[in-house]
Amino acid sequence: MKISFTGKNYISLASVICMLIVWKILSLHFDSDFVLPSPEKTLITTLTLFGDGRFLGIVGTTVARGLIGFIISVVLGIGTGILTGLNPYADAFLRPVLVTIRSIPVISIILLALIWFNPGSVPVFIGMLTMFPFITTNVSDGIRSIDRELVVMATFYKVSRERIVRELYIPAIMPFIVSGASSALGIGWRAIIIGEVLSQPVYGIGTMMQNAQTFLNIDAVIAWTIVAVLISYAFEKMIRWLEHKLVVWRS
Amino acid sequence: MSLEIRSLYKNFDDVTLFSDFSVAFQEGTITCILGPSGCGKTTLLNIIGGIIEPDSGQMTGFREKTISYIFQDPRLLPWKTVEENIEFVLGRDIAAEQRKKISGQLIKLMELEDFTAYYPSKLSGGMRQRVSIARAFAYPSDIILMDEPLKGLDIKLKLNLIRIFSRMWQTDKRTVVFVTHDVDEALLLGSDIIVLSGPPAQIILKKRIDLPYEKRSLESEYLKKLEQNLMEALGN
Repeated sequence: MKISFTGKNYISLASVICMLIVWKILSLHFDSDFVLPSPEKTLITTLTLFGDGRFLGIVGTTVARGLIGFIISVVLGIGTGILTGLNPYADAFLRPVLVTIRSIPVISIILLALIWFNPGSVPVFIGMLTMFPFITTNVSDGIRSIDRELVVMATFYKVSRERIVRELYIPAIMPFIVSGASSALGIGWRAIIIGEVLSQPVYGIGTMMQNAQTFLNIDAVIAWTIVAVLISYAFEKMIRWLEHKLVVWRS
Repeated sequence: MSLEIRSLYKNFDDVTLFSDFSVAFQEGTITCILGPSGCGKTTLLNIIGGIIEPDSGQMTGFREKTISYIFQDPRLLPWKTVEENIEFVLGRDIAAEQRKKISGQLIKLMELEDFTAYYPSKLSGGMRQRVSIARAFAYPSDIILMDEPLKGLDIKLKLNLIRIFSRMWQTDKRTVVFVTHDVDEALLLGSDIIVLSGPPAQIILKKRIDLPYEKRSLESEYLKKLEQNLMEALGN
């Protein structure tokens, strides 16, 4: 990937450097690795993580949980989104359900999920539940945004029902699905890691964070946080790339 | 042969658009229906096209015909290129190669060769409407319905599109029913011109122009006189 440094990029780079400087100053001020380790030490810890034999297993498990939760929420979300987008009664019925799911604090869901599921499934369930409303709402908006006149045109020219769905409905809602997926993943990753911290599955970034915190390895807590941020960033990039591929037709 | 509508009745909300309305169209010609906005022109097209059901009335000759519709707005799929938009209306029973050939010919006739792979968002309003016209001609229809497709275009574009349209029409002379409120468009394109008033719609004037398209000029005495006739009828 090519990165061109424009004026704005320089300012963003300066912002990152400023954050590092503030971090360094604070770490000098506290002068204790148990409160805030220095950026260099944290960087070294992060790099050692990559070398750890269990690293891929841990990260892979968390990513797999995220993806499973995401895929379930996308499938469910597209289904309910189409239903609520096409049928105002279904919309009226499901709206309170979605509002409720969205308003429940993540921690309440986790506490309940801890009782209902095994530790490995808790984060998947949390991820699914936090991501699902975004997909549903966006698909539903997408369906409602479809230009009825295009449908009249296609029907007039006797285009088959199956082709109208494939060539008119799906491309029309695609940008909405992608933007829903983007917001969903942004929230979803965080929820999954909180789920892991509290449910303590054998493998998982959250588990590692919790362990590190217990032993006051603050540098490791931050290092795992950096890993989590990088994963989230990578997925965001992938979604943006996908979006770009899917909506070339926009001006 | 003619296509006929007899004793058409249609109410929309509280407005009576058609009450015992009858009209006939000569096959293989362009009939222009001229009238003020709100007189029921578009509704008439939608009834002919089967988009709207009439309250009652008899239609002869339409049912067994295939119809294309050039809408007032181009109604192109934004995620399909010029070529794909034209081919969209071709059934999959037509082989891909044949579809490409049909769209290719029309793209050429419509002078869109340089824009084959363009998405509608990259085209001007006039070009989009040309794609919509090409799509209507690509569809294997007997009748083409047109609902003021030139509305909102400037005079130069309008004349250019009329020139391209009449050239295209000459290739297979389909029956065209063309609705407009623009007298010049009617004079340049119509074989038969029907002036409507309403609602409820009533035919207040019928004119036939026998002049071939390439000989028509808005500057000629003949068309100027006709224009005056039409303007007077519309003024009522």
